[in-house]
Amino acid sequence: MIECKTVNKIVTTSEGELQILHDISLKVDDGQSAAIIGASGSGKSTLLSLLAGLDEVSNGEIYLDDQPLHKLDEEQRAQVRGQKVGFVFQSFMLVQSLTALENVMLPAQIAGTDDAKARAQQIMQDVGLSHRQNHYPNQLSGGEQQRVALARAFITRPAILFADEPTGNLDSHNGQMVEDLLFKLNKESGTTLVLVTHDAELAKKCQRQLVMQGGRLTERNAQQGSRLDVV
Amino acid sequence: MWFNLAVRLFKHELRRGELTIILAAIVLSVASVFSLSLFSARLQAALTDQSAAFIASDRQLSSGRQLNPDWLQQASEMGLQTARQISTRSMLFAGESMVLADIKAVSNEYPLKGKVKVADQPFEIGAETGELPQPGHIWMDSRLFQQLELSIGDQVEIGESQFLVSKALVDVPDRGFAVFGNDQLVLMTYQDILATGLVGPGARINYRYFYAGDRQQLDAYYEWLAPQLVRERHRWRSVEDDDSAIGNAVKRAERFFLLASLLAIVLAAVAIAVAAQRYSQRHFDPVAIMKTLGASRGLVQRVYLMQMALVTLVAIVTGLIAGYAIQQGIVGLVAERVPVALDGWHWQPVWTAIMTGVVCAFLFSVYPLLRLFSIPPLRVLRRDFGEKASRQFGQFMLAGAAIFSLMWIFSRDLKISAILFVTGAVLIAALFAVSFGLIKVGRWFGSGKIGPWQLAWARIQRRAMNNSVQLISFSVTLLLLLVVLVMRNDMVQQWRDQLPQGTPNYFVINISESQLPKLKQQFDDYQVDAGQIYPLIRGRLAAIGGERVRSAVSKEGEQTQNEGRAGMGREANLTWSDSLQKGNKIVAGRFFDDTLSELPEVSVEQQIAERLNINLGDTLEFDIGGQPVVAKVTSLREVDWQTMQPNFFFVLQPAAMEGFPATYITSFFLDEQRKADLTQILSPLASVSLIDVDARINQVREIIDQVSLAVEFILILVLCAGSLVLIAQVQASMDERVQELAILRTLGAKGWLIRTSVVGEFVIIGAVAGVMAALANELALYLLQSQVFNMPASLHFEYWLTAPIVGAAVVSILGAISCWRLLRINTAQLLRTML
Repeated sequence: MIECKTVNKIVTTSEGELQILHDISLKVDDGQSAAIIGASGSGKSTLLSLLAGLDEVSNGEIYLDDQPLHKLDEEQRAQVRGQKVGFVFQSFMLVQSLTALENVMLPAQIAGTDDAKARAQQIMQDVGLSHRQNHYPNQLSGGEQQRVALARAFITRPAILFADEPTGNLDSHNGQMVEDLLFKLNKESGTTLVLVTHDAELAKKCQRQLVMQGGRLTERNAQQGSRLDVV
Repeated sequence: MWFNLAVRLFKHELRRGELTIILAAIVLSVASVFSLSLFSARLQAALTDQSAAFIASDRQLSSGRQLNPDWLQQASEMGLQTARQISTRSMLFAGESMVLADIKAVSNEYPLKGKVKVADQPFEIGAETGELPQPGHIWMDSRLFQQLELSIGDQVEIGESQFLVSKALVDVPDRGFAVFGNDQLVLMTYQDILATGLVGPGARINYRYFYAGDRQQLDAYYEWLAPQLVRERHRWRSVEDDDSAIGNAVKRAERFFLLASLLAIVLAAVAIAVAAQRYSQRHFDPVAIMKTLGASRGLVQRVYLMQMALVTLVAIVTGLIAGYAIQQGIVGLVAERVPVALDGWHWQPVWTAIMTGVVCAFLFSVYPLLRLFSIPPLRVLRRDFGEKASRQFGQFMLAGAAIFSLMWIFSRDLKISAILFVTGAVLIAALFAVSFGLIKVGRWFGSGKIGPWQLAWARIQRRAMNNSVQLISFSVTLLLLLVVLVMRNDMVQQWRDQLPQGTPNYFVINISESQLPKLKQQFDDYQVDAGQIYPLIRGRLAAIGGERVRSAVSKEGEQTQNEGRAGMGREANLTWSDSLQKGNKIVAGRFFDDTLSELPEVSVEQQIAERLNINLGDTLEFDIGGQPVVAKVTSLREVDWQTMQPNFFFVLQPAAMEGFPATYITSFFLDEQRKADLTQILSPLASVSLIDVDARINQVREIIDQVSLAVEFILILVLCAGSLVLIAQVQASMDERVQELAILRTLGAKGWLIRTSVVGEFVIIGAVAGVMAALANELALYLLQSQVFNMPASLHFEYWLTAPIVGAAVVSILGAISCWRLLRINTAQLLRTML
């Protein structure tokens, strides 16, 4: 479960302080899927970075699977990420100097799993890339790279998966394939999914749609088409 | 787990060429330090060996009185090799002829270093031998055969014994370089001289013990022996006392090796720093990803430090192998040219090289690595995180400290390190200001119409800060290359000038006044190129400023309990002339002119004047065969003792020497092929003595050639290091370049425009770097030549033009080669590379 209570994010710029997020409160239950949508610069990626423990809140509280992220230091947050969180990024973020298989093994290795290779091979098969496992990222197409990234995200069977524009860099065919795979793996492993997107169609596939506007978050009720404050 | 990850990353990165520059830079620093130090150590050992030959041993003890035999016994017990020699002068009789000669009687172990050279017939070139004359036999100089009208196999009488002359003696290692006072030499066994009766009370005999062994044994022995020696009676010599042309050439060459290897290390270190910077930048993403996936900072540190350790390990091993191969190659080359065995293994260079590799790798990559470790995971979402190079000042300070410590540790010479470092630092600061200014000034050029040169300027300006750093590193690289090149040229030239072709290789002494016309006639007839003829008379310096000097005196003018002030301790060769000798320079006072003063005048060599505390205006009294001659010091002269011509401590005004019977001395050059002519040239002049220094001159030439060759090889190593820095710099700017090229291509820029602008950028940077390097070169050279190498400093205008041209050419070629792949690929590929 993800829970945040009146979270604010303020950054200092050359022109003074800038508040990016205003009193965000949100609760996402285990196994739930939530899409954060909004225009560029609305603060959705900042929220994602805070929820995932990549960045620190200015004030407020964030709990990730009961872990108080706002109280943890960088090292402790890294430990939480390694144990509970998976990531998928718009620009894939594969390590260029490792093969596809080694990229998938990486989180398992960081977590100290013994059978990292066997698990990686299995999941590469699940995403349909077992024949490409010894290729380097630059030898793969965009769609293939994102499927490797999906495999990497799921190898540690994370409790929560964060996805930042997972199909943003892909054509419609490949985008569709990655979407399908994402939701399939999510369903199979019962992961909580939080994804940031511009794509309304993708957002609709999530159980909840959260709209970010000017640093404030509201929930859109799918049935009624109206917005509610997220609590 | 992290170990596997580190090894896997290392293998992949190695294969993908990510580590090539760092690896090559460490390999180069290790290889150059190893090859230079090993070669230097071997050369040093070989040259010490060769110098040792000049005293036929490593150490020598001599005395006018018999030496204690227990001392020799003790030396053998301490593991040293020993030999004995007695030398004296005696008449040789053969039929009606007789002549005075130097007799050397040696024990069977002689010589401990070097070789005796003999010929089967007089005046033949001869060959080295490991043997000595058999009992009852002697070997003697070729001139003695001539003077005594003898042939091989004839009998000679010395003292109370008869000897068979079995060989012509060409050379003994410890003959010495002294031009005066040496008669022709006779070599016999130690036992034989005792039978001649020459060694008796009242005889003027010199006793010598020779020692050879390793340094520690020799030092230990000297420690034991020293308290028993009497300063006035015993003389202890070691090869390190060598102040000859060879000694000086070697000392200077060693300094050059040191300088060159320091510069090679600095260059390699800069290459490592630049490459590590780029490596770190390229790993910002992987580190951010690893941290996002839950890796702790400690894990990231372990993975990357492990990688660095692996790189260093591979590079050190490769560097040692490469260094050894390079060194063997150069030894092979040298060995063909000069007869000096450069073998023997030295461990010190191995440790020095390994230390250099480790220190370079870690000190110069530590800052980029620290930056890498602190990359926040948030970079996966915010791509600009970590790009800011906020700690550049600290980085420069650390790199500076690291470079200075390396220099100091390696050279163990604070002065040379300080000169290089401080000039370097000042230059960099000045270059930074100048280059930044130049880039700004060039702005007007970049405005207006867009052509390739405008694009090039625009690119230089846009990255003014980065370009200043790049420009400085190019300038410093070119500067260091120039310094090494010019130092090498100046030094080799000076060596060659010292002994030009036609340097006199024979001296004729004991020429009487009546023989002078005949000698000149003979020289003319045989077309011998003879030098000036100097009158010569032996005299003792008896008083300085009216104060008597001691007859037997210790070295260095030490004032002891002895009565009287310090004197020379031996007779001096006096000459007189109206004109200043070639190669002499008046450093105080004025040389004689026609003005007559009350006292005759004398010109004194400045070092002896300093040693004996003689000043301008002092009166000197010489005792010449019991007759006093008093003269006033009116000038002090600087004398280059390394020239092969007669040189004198005291030159008197001719008026002072009227009425004294003088002999004359001259030197001449005779080609080795014409050696046999010597007999004919000198046969009508029976009493004159000939001194053959041909072998010595050749030895000096050989060593100089050898050292020059080594210097060339070092130049090549430094060039490699320099090129590596340039390549590393170009590589470092490659990522940004890709982006720019992609944009230009996408916007439809033609291939030639892009190519010319890229090459143009490098041409501009190279030329500006060349100008700055040439200017800075003058300052660095002035300090080095005057403070470290004891050479006359000079300006080098020719490089003011060549440096910018060569700089532009080299930098643009290296730049174009590095960018060539990028310039040839199509836009789609370029964009893909960028992504």
